[in-house]
Amino acid sequence: MSSPTEPITQQRPVKPTRRIRTLAIVLALVGFTYFSANQVGVKLSTFWEVWTNPLWEKFWPVPWDWVLNRTNVLDPLVETFQIAIVSSVIGCGLALPASFLMSRLTTPNRPTHVVSRAFMGVVRAIPDLFWAKLLVTAVGIGAFAGAWALSIFSFAVMVKLFSETIDGADPRPLEAAVAAGGRHMPAVRSGVLPEVFPAYVAYALYTFELNIRASIVLGLVGAGGVGRVIDAQRQFFRFDRILGILILVFVVVFIIDQISVALRKRLV
Amino acid sequence: MTSPLDANDTAAVLDTDQAAPRPTMPVGPGRWKWIIAGIISVALVWSISGLSIGIDRLLGAPGDAWGIARLMWPPDFATELERGVLGKVLESVYIAWIGTIIAATFSLPLSFLAASNVAPRWLRRVVRNLFNVIRSVPELIVAVILIAVTGLGPWAGALAIGLHSIGTLGKLSSEAIESIDNGPLEAVSSSGGRWVSKMRWGVLPQVLPTITSYWLFRFEINVRASAVLGLIGAGGVGSELVSQLNFRNFPQVAAVLIVTVAVVLTIDNASSAVRRRIISGGGGLPGDQSRMAILWADLTGRKT
Repeated sequence: MSSPTEPITQQRPVKPTRRIRTLAIVLALVGFTYFSANQVGVKLSTFWEVWTNPLWEKFWPVPWDWVLNRTNVLDPLVETFQIAIVSSVIGCGLALPASFLMSRLTTPNRPTHVVSRAFMGVVRAIPDLFWAKLLVTAVGIGAFAGAWALSIFSFAVMVKLFSETIDGADPRPLEAAVAAGGRHMPAVRSGVLPEVFPAYVAYALYTFELNIRASIVLGLVGAGGVGRVIDAQRQFFRFDRILGILILVFVVVFIIDQISVALRKRLV
Repeated sequence: MTSPLDANDTAAVLDTDQAAPRPTMPVGPGRWKWIIAGIISVALVWSISGLSIGIDRLLGAPGDAWGIARLMWPPDFATELERGVLGKVLESVYIAWIGTIIAATFSLPLSFLAASNVAPRWLRRVVRNLFNVIRSVPELIVAVILIAVTGLGPWAGALAIGLHSIGTLGKLSSEAIESIDNGPLEAVSSSGGRWVSKMRWGVLPQVLPTITSYWLFRFEINVRASAVLGLIGAGGVGSELVSQLNFRNFPQVAAVLIVTVAVVLTIDNASSAVRRRIISGGGGLPGDQSRMAILWADLTGRKT
């Protein structure tokens, strides 16, 4: 409560002068958007024309006999999950020691920290399907290339997430362990790992969910899994089959996600 | 576990009488640890056998990969620049930008309808499920369908990215709205504001910085996604990568990859700098500074 003698204007906060900057930013953004829209060839009419496209009739009815056939879809779908499992285990397993090298808190020395961080930045900057495409060229078409690509990518994602968690860990247990005469790795193991391990498990499950999603589309570049079937049916314009596959895939993915979320809640 | 740390520790405890009892090693519940390890190994063995990865193939793969990597050296920038790789990468950036704009335009109003503190219960459930469904369809699948409907090209890619991003942005934005301070909302409604005014003056100013930073973050992700979309014919740098890989022009492939990485990293860094600025704010408080100093701080965000 203010006393009546105090002038009111004093209490009111001064409005920051932001007009020039705001105007400049808005103009720049609008200009860039307009330019990109030209480059991309935006046709706003698509938004209403797309609904009346005769192609939608090809999506229905879904041939469930074909979709639920073992060799047509179910085997590639199982392959998809196998790719996701293998690459999650490999990626997350390798990420555990690598993250400790990369975190500022637990890195053995500064050069290791800087070099590994830069390297992982580059690995992550290449999108996952670029990796898949490259590895398909390198080791041949099929699930093996897909498993490789997803292992690399989940390793990169996992290291980023987990090493940042380690950065934020409480340094005192580590200092205590070092002060008590522990060497570097044992000190990290008993001073830092217990604190960050629940986060590791949560990230591993999250990475697994990401991998399940990514492994579905891997087949579009020839790296195995159910995406291979989608790609083949797409060439024949069998969108009814594609729709059936998608519905099946997303029911299964939804169930896996629910299990993973429940596990994450319990473990963390 | 035996290690120098444990050995020293035990010796110290034995030496001194007043030492506290040694705390137990903090590990998870033992039984569960083994069960989970068992499940993971069974799943791993099942998967590896299912993928029929022979040991010779496993051992041969690093060699193959290394062979390709050697063929890529030295990267052939000259040919690629002539073929307009920069334009291709920039096209990916434009696709990502348009996609993000589409997603932001649609997700912002929808996210108000999905937030538990400002929307009615039935509506919230509908919109939220809509977000979840959209989110669970990958961009590439959306693009596969859209390419058939709208034809090949960057516009299909931008639409696919935009559609997919509505799901993630909507979810994140509605969560941001749910975590607001209720004070301004109450203030607006106590002075007679209706729902729209409450949203405009009570909610939007609180959440806009967070949501803008989500948009930028999504833009970073979308740049990668739009590069990938080129692999299936939706424009951008991916198509260039595919054509060079198909002709086995590995030095050109290396050049494409390096340019892509450079652009992606530049955008990531610029965008995260802007996000930091949006969230933590910048500029000095007006008062004891000259107008020029204020303007400078305002334009650059640097405190003087």
